[in-house]
Amino acid sequence: MEGILFKIFGAFITALLAFTVGMLFGGLRRKVIARAQNRVGPPVYQNFLDLLKLQSKTTNIAHGFMGHMAPVWIIIAAMTTLMFIPVLQGDLWFENLTMKGDLIFLLYMMVFGNLGMALGAGQSGNPNSVLGVSRGLSQLVGFEIPYFLAITALMLQFQTTTIAEFLNIQAETGVWIVLQNPFAFIAAVLASLGMFMYAPFNIVGAPAELASGPRAEFGGKYLGTMMTGGAVFAFIKLVLMVDLFLGGAGNNNLEGIAGTAVGLLELLLKTFLFYMIPVFVAIVSPRYRTEQAIRFFWKWPTFFGILAIVWALYKNGTFN
Amino acid sequence: MDNNKNIEQVSKIKTIGIPTQEEIKQAQIDFSPRCTSAGRVNDKETQKMVEYIMNFARKHSLFVLAYGTGCGAIEIPATMTSRYDAERFGMRGAATPRQADVLLITGYLSTKTLKRVIRVYEQMQDPKYVIAFGSCTINGGMYFDSYNTINALDRYLPVDVYIAGCMPRPESVINGIVKLQGLIQNGNAGGGKCYKDNLDWYRENQQKVIKNWDFPDDYNW
Amino acid sequence: MSKLKKENKILDKLKNVFDITGEIKYKKRVSIKADKKNVSSILLFLKNQKGYIHLNHISCVDWIEENKFELIYIVWNPNNKLTVLVHTRIDRENPVMENIDTIWDQANTYEREFREMYGIEFPGLVGRKEFILEDWDNIPPMRRDFDSQKYALENFATRPGREDAQDVREAIQKRSGEELPDFAKKYSRD
Repeated sequence: MEGILFKIFGAFITALLAFTVGMLFGGLRRKVIARAQNRVGPPVYQNFLDLLKLQSKTTNIAHGFMGHMAPVWIIIAAMTTLMFIPVLQGDLWFENLTMKGDLIFLLYMMVFGNLGMALGAGQSGNPNSVLGVSRGLSQLVGFEIPYFLAITALMLQFQTTTIAEFLNIQAETGVWIVLQNPFAFIAAVLASLGMFMYAPFNIVGAPAELASGPRAEFGGKYLGTMMTGGAVFAFIKLVLMVDLFLGGAGNNNLEGIAGTAVGLLELLLKTFLFYMIPVFVAIVSPRYRTEQAIRFFWKWPTFFGILAIVWALYKNGTFN
Repeated sequence: MDNNKNIEQVSKIKTIGIPTQEEIKQAQIDFSPRCTSAGRVNDKETQKMVEYIMNFARKHSLFVLAYGTGCGAIEIPATMTSRYDAERFGMRGAATPRQADVLLITGYLSTKTLKRVIRVYEQMQDPKYVIAFGSCTINGGMYFDSYNTINALDRYLPVDVYIAGCMPRPESVINGIVKLQGLIQNGNAGGGKCYKDNLDWYRENQQKVIKNWDFPDDYNW
Repeated sequence: MSKLKKENKILDKLKNVFDITGEIKYKKRVSIKADKKNVSSILLFLKNQKGYIHLNHISCVDWIEENKFELIYIVWNPNNKLTVLVHTRIDRENPVMENIDTIWDQANTYEREFREMYGIEFPGLVGRKEFILEDWDNIPPMRRDFDSQKYALENFATRPGREDAQDVREAIQKRSGEELPDFAKKYSRD
């Protein structure tokens, strides 16, 4: 009984953490881009102000049932996915739900939000939205292939499909998976450039081309809810990459609240450093066209993904 | 028509020159701006804490839909990029009217463009503000005698802040933004409310200029 | 005149073939005056025989005193860099001009503009009647008998000026004690 209470309380705290960190990282991104362009830039808490303002706007339009449901769908997808991510290893509050094979479940769950978005954008009837959705699905086909190859390589190498198992393996051996299978890491990093949808892969919401794409007809509270979902999703992607490749966080010998605090700091540091990869790429990049983006993903990232699988089979002992 | 008659006709026409005072006075029919203090969003006395916080968020997060008419559109990149950096005030470009708070009209408006601007404005969600940019929107500017550009924008749309100049430099634009922020914080930037209250007056003016009136009843498409 | 050899050559050739008058404006610029019915054949001749393959511009002038519209076709030869201006005058009361967008496609744009702005008809011209203006219900606005300022004052209300707005000429006159010239007095505000 006590365990369930802890889980429920932990779920709330995790949701709050994901929201705060996701929004804060969004603000940091804007600040970093501004500093790279020699500007002052908006304050770090700018995204919270944006959200507050969007929630205070009125809405006098309706785009049908799916138009109302799309932001809700994104939030549902984000929260459900978040509940299956072990944010801190072995922590009472932040470990959340783990089960056998949750990695496969997560891979499918992360597409769920995009699906809701696509349906909502389709019902709004805006041609820009429809174009954006078709571009988004094309890009999804592009980056999912190297990403799946990288994850499959990990599954093959360590013979498990549970994220907690990966964390345990890294804690026991003391070597992060980025060193045990570097090719999988390279493929996953390149694929994550597309997952974050920053430049040069911001072809879905290209403001000057498609008038922000699938979001074109959503404003006010709808846009605010989508922003929240996007922030949580960014946190999920970062924590998943840190868990799978960079040893996760919370693996320390400290007891109680101190251990959690140190673990959270470790997590923030690792996620922030990983987050800077797509951000720095975005600063120096213009925008690809759709076919260029797909061609990019199917060339080098896929090559590294296949190499990762070969490496995994070699390490696994299949070739002996 | 023989030539002499034509020459007489031409000599009557004053093609160049400043209009006389009488002509101008005749043209100033019912020129009273509608939105001075009538459009207050909330009174100082009844201003609640929530409204204060909301106004704070609104003023620091202005999503700008830059309607780039005329020459003013070239000042917007300068305002937004490194040198003047309007993003530090929380300004950000919005791609569609649904997401925008501020409609920035950057120069003269021909009657053809005015029709599109009105549609854009009516698609925006409350609370919404209009910043008019350059002397062309104030009194016609150098297009005062053009057959196809309107002279005073606030007869057709409620303008919250005017930025004078031809063209205003980015410093003036930032000054205008700060002015708008002050109005929002005090609850005085009620252009959207004013537009709703005086819709008949605005429609009358708009329909005087836009002859083929084929606007949709609502914007749920 | 030996320097203007190329210019003289094309002018003489045109004078031999067509019934025109013409002059050499200055170096590399030949101006000819042709009858309305000859224009398309002159342009075809210049394009097909003489290598004037580029239509620079078509311009229109309203000679209201003579009750004429003047159309000026400016063509250019990229080989010898010569420009030929073909002037023609058409009746202002019933302005009809031959459509030349079969010779140059880009003439279509100019001709649609003239149809809208001057009311000149081009038989067989493709494209919507409305080109730049929208819902225009007055006489074509670029004609000189259209009073743009009067139209603006009637349709678009003006805003009263500032109290301290000064006339620049008068202010300078007061400051320096100079006498206003006669041409400037015509435009004075009082």
